[in-house]
Amino acid sequence: MKEVPVKIQHNNEWIVVKMGIGEDRIVLPAPINKEIHFKTVADIAEKKNILIITVKTDTETVYKILSVEKVLQVLKKFILGSCNAYRLMAYFMSPAIRGGVMVKEAQWDKGSVVVVRSGIWFVSATKQICVPVNDVAAIELTKRDVQGKPTDVIKIDHLEQGEVSSSFVLCPLSTLQVLYNFLRDTTKSMDMKGTELDGVDQQVAMLVYSGMDSHAIENMLNIPHKQLDAIYDKILKLGLGEVVTIRREIQLTTKGVRYISDATKSQTN
Amino acid sequence: MGKILIVDDTLFMRTLLKNILFSGGHTIVGEAGDGDEGVAKYKELKPDLVTMDIVMPKLNGIEALKAIKALDPAARIVMCTAVGQEQMVKLAIKSGAKGYIIKPFQAPKVLEEVKNVLAS
Repeated sequence: MKEVPVKIQHNNEWIVVKMGIGEDRIVLPAPINKEIHFKTVADIAEKKNILIITVKTDTETVYKILSVEKVLQVLKKFILGSCNAYRLMAYFMSPAIRGGVMVKEAQWDKGSVVVVRSGIWFVSATKQICVPVNDVAAIELTKRDVQGKPTDVIKIDHLEQGEVSSSFVLCPLSTLQVLYNFLRDTTKSMDMKGTELDGVDQQVAMLVYSGMDSHAIENMLNIPHKQLDAIYDKILKLGLGEVVTIRREIQLTTKGVRYISDATKSQTN
Repeated sequence: MGKILIVDDTLFMRTLLKNILFSGGHTIVGEAGDGDEGVAKYKELKPDLVTMDIVMPKLNGIEALKAIKALDPAARIVMCTAVGQEQMVKLAIKSGAKGYIIKPFQAPKVLEEVKNVLAS
């Protein structure tokens, strides 16, 4: 068993320990004194260089481990290979489309797709990509040209640093259908009827996505500020958007008008 | 920065693209609402780049692309397509399109693709 120094959160504090990494478990020495078998890991997520592991035995315990990328890569490889998850061998392409533009260097990787509680992991010899379930915008069974033949694939649209990316999974059709159903179930909380927004509302949502600000949207759709505000309220209420900036409009007081009048005079004199 | 012709049958998409491309410093030399008009405007305006919707009335985007390429083999055309039409994109690339953007799109990505195609 190899030992590596990591930081781990213990009693709300980060402490440095020499963690033992084996092929089926990790050993956390004193003051934690725990052995974590990978098959008891029910969830694994990553935030920057912190690995968040949920272990389920009789109770659930969350461990947060901070380390360098190299150590985390080894840990992820072992955990994703043995944890309690839906796992299948597949080819994947992630991301294949980013922000509406096909990724030019995208290629099929041979590896596995591991679905845990909080995310979908694409794992190969060189890649460990996680798509958090909360970031999944759409899942569909579709066809894609693979080696010149239209082939059944699953397309997963997901948010990646604020822009929509698409990833593809390729495996035998029967497995694909099972995976599709499983993914649909996992991401059911994000489903909507599709009738919540009317035509103008949808156009506003699309313009927001395209990066237009309120002023541009009002001009493009020729709608007054109050109407746009009402549409924003609807979008926010449905959980489809969030407020990032509140911009103010002001008018000058008498003092302000006098100030700029004086300033103009001094410029023209 | 380039002179761009936008070909799309929806006013909304034309306006959106116009705003995005204008914000990137490009000049919009013309707009067309179908493939026929797109080919005619190309002959008239000789733009540096065309953004071409695929599904359009009269002449569709692929046919319009072929017609423009027959007139000017060096024409730079970026196809705009909806999600799920990747097969059409492949056909467009085979027919001479230089790039593609998939709706819904984000401004920085559109500008990046247009910049790449203009530089090609």
